[in-house]
Amino acid sequence: MAGATEQPFTLSVSDADLELLREKLELARLPDELEGAGWDYGAPLADIQRLLSHWKGAYDWRKSEAEINKLPMFTRDIDVEGFGTLNIHYVHQKSDAANAIPLLFVHGWPGHFLEVRKMLPLLTAKSPEHPSFHVVALSLPGFGFSEAPRKPGFAGRQYAEVFNKLMLALGYEEYVYQGGDWGHLLGAHVVTHYGHKHVKAWHTNMLRCHPPTLLSHPRAYISALLDTTVKAKLAYGAKWRRSGMGYMIEQSTKPQTLGYSLADSPVGLLGWIYEKLVGWSGDYPWTDDEVIEWISIYWFSRAGPAAASRIYYEMTSGNTQDPMAGTTWMSVPVGVSYFPREPVHLPKSWAPTLGKVVFESEHDKGGHFAAYEVPEKLAGDLRKMYGKGGPAHGVVSGKNGYD
Amino acid sequence: MSANTEKPFKVSIPDEDIELLHKKLELARFPDELEEAGWLYGAPLADVKRLVARWKDGFDWRQSEAQINALPQFTRDIEVEGFGTLNIHYVHQRSDVEDAVPLLFIHGWPGHFLEVRKLLPLLTKSSPDHPSFHVVTFSLPGFGFSEAPQKKGFAGKQYAEVANALMNSLGYKEYVVQGGDWGHYIAGYLATHYAHVNVKGWLTNYPVALPPRLRSAPWLYLTHLFTPYTKQVKDGMARTDDFLRRGRGYAVEQSTKPQTLGYSLADSPVGLLGWMYEKLVSWADEYPWEDDEVLEWVSIYWFSRAGPGASLRIYHEMTNCFERSAVAGVKWTSVPLGCAYFAKEHGMVPRSWLGTLGRLIFESTHERGGHFAAHEQPEALAEDVRKMFGRGGPAYGVVTGKSGYV
Repeated sequence: MAGATEQPFTLSVSDADLELLREKLELARLPDELEGAGWDYGAPLADIQRLLSHWKGAYDWRKSEAEINKLPMFTRDIDVEGFGTLNIHYVHQKSDAANAIPLLFVHGWPGHFLEVRKMLPLLTAKSPEHPSFHVVALSLPGFGFSEAPRKPGFAGRQYAEVFNKLMLALGYEEYVYQGGDWGHLLGAHVVTHYGHKHVKAWHTNMLRCHPPTLLSHPRAYISALLDTTVKAKLAYGAKWRRSGMGYMIEQSTKPQTLGYSLADSPVGLLGWIYEKLVGWSGDYPWTDDEVIEWISIYWFSRAGPAAASRIYYEMTSGNTQDPMAGTTWMSVPVGVSYFPREPVHLPKSWAPTLGKVVFESEHDKGGHFAAYEVPEKLAGDLRKMYGKGGPAHGVVSGKNGYD
Repeated sequence: MSANTEKPFKVSIPDEDIELLHKKLELARFPDELEEAGWLYGAPLADVKRLVARWKDGFDWRQSEAQINALPQFTRDIEVEGFGTLNIHYVHQRSDVEDAVPLLFIHGWPGHFLEVRKLLPLLTKSSPDHPSFHVVTFSLPGFGFSEAPQKKGFAGKQYAEVANALMNSLGYKEYVVQGGDWGHYIAGYLATHYAHVNVKGWLTNYPVALPPRLRSAPWLYLTHLFTPYTKQVKDGMARTDDFLRRGRGYAVEQSTKPQTLGYSLADSPVGLLGWMYEKLVSWADEYPWEDDEVLEWVSIYWFSRAGPGASLRIYHEMTNCFERSAVAGVKWTSVPLGCAYFAKEHGMVPRSWLGTLGRLIFESTHERGGHFAAHEQPEALAEDVRKMFGRGGPAYGVVTGKSGYV
């Protein structure tokens, strides 16, 4: 039972923490690199050297912090059955529109709550031309500025419980959900447990679902058989499966072992995450400041950077189980956006196994971090899905998105 | 072919390197850990904290160094086709027995040249009851105190070229090989490229090979670790299954993104310690590691000539970025092959598969011992080497004029 424990949250990293980081950066020791390595062996040395230099010199954390603190942020205690109380950090930005739709935005790894940043003005803006949203974006337990679970076994059901209790505590009995990466997978869990009653519709920018079978989804099965894009789509993801899964296997099996490096070495953490920021995005022109700020959220996170890796272990029971185990197909309306540089593509004909697909959109630009890379496209999709005439218009009672 | 560039070598880490290590240890920042995590999520926090505390205060690197320097170490330049010259560090211990059998010992990851240490007195010792060996071991390129290759593509053929050139340069045209982990693969490549003329026999303690009928399939990297086909193979394979499901993350990352991982391991001694300690304990058979033993082992990587990041690349190069099994380039030859099976080794295939690598003429099975056989069970492994190459053994007298006896 979450009492009224909401506190406004101001990000304020201690001087001691900043000093420790500075000292570590000064002592940084870099590895060698093969001639002509490019990106074939991982993040290139020249990039890391440049970023390290920027981090040591020009980058100003306090400036980042001040900007972040302009967001309306809060914390509150959420009870999770079997896990005690977790103090959860979130952004809560309301729209001026009287009947704005409550929307929960959920990030993944190596993402964080700030991925919602560019979407906030777009989603909350009031206009007769498009719907508006009240946006809630939390730091997942173990990420950003939320506490981490202390016991083993914190998985889909528990994340769903946190999400739902948070939205209820904010007065949103009914709401919609948007997520990619773990945000997508956790979306399937929250819909399973709270779909219809509380979660009225959801949207994903990273389709992950099972292939249709003749018994489970006969229509989709036939569509999939006739879908000429299947082979090419699956082939696209082959590269990632072949050479991009190392982080996932390690984090799913030995997150603690990896954690010693990520907690102790800012350069190690930088390399580990930067490789994904570039590798998974669609030619996004990352600035050095952007990258360092992103890494800093992990470096200064409440539970430390190692805790975040554990989601991989817990959601797959140590790499022995599908992270969607425990979810059920629900007829809660779902929308899917496809971005070309998402590392893994699944055929559209498979989407019906995720839920009742009411909205689809395919883009020519953008990758895994869609909300950050191409916010106007993702926000545009949500507006279409929930706006007047859209397939999920009016799903939330009394909150159709307009004045 | 290399001119005689041999120089005696002593490990001598500069003071400022030791200081930097200590400064970093002083600033160590530890992760959290779940309650009752044990070993489930990786190396336990209490262990790592204890080891870091000892590393900061108590472990004496200079003492380790002095003991290491009691070994007869050298360096010499070895030319590798397409890669220029690499300066290679090695240990060369001759037996008093003039006609001792020349033997090359090859380490793997996270191993190093010191894994030969306990074997040296056993193998070089003279006795009418068993053969003696002149023993050579080297730091693999990119490991320990050998230089690392600078270019892409340094794989099985190249490691074998270095090993063979080293032995030849020491006057050993013909020799036998013993290895586990990468040492197993490199021994296989040595047999492939230098069969009979140079390599006269080899003994592995890491029995890994592809199944005979699927040998040519390109996606079979995982089968080098194991795919259970028969009940016989399923029985007692629990640890191999566990390794496949839960213990191979390091291999996938090292095979695909060694540079990314390298930033962590080069910069954080705590990170390096955690990464290696997890394997030292879980791959060994309840070996009673002492803290200083672990720290010496990790320090070899920390202070290595090319840095700890370089040692990871062998995974990428030998598997062509996780595209094929590291053993795919090893061709069957009739060079005599022996296998020592240690009970807790995670790398295990049915005996029939091992025959794809060579003429299997010697096998032994041990109830105790794991992956680091030379370090954990030196007497057992030395006994196997003696049995295979000694009088009455299946590979007795393979090296011309070097029976192993007085």
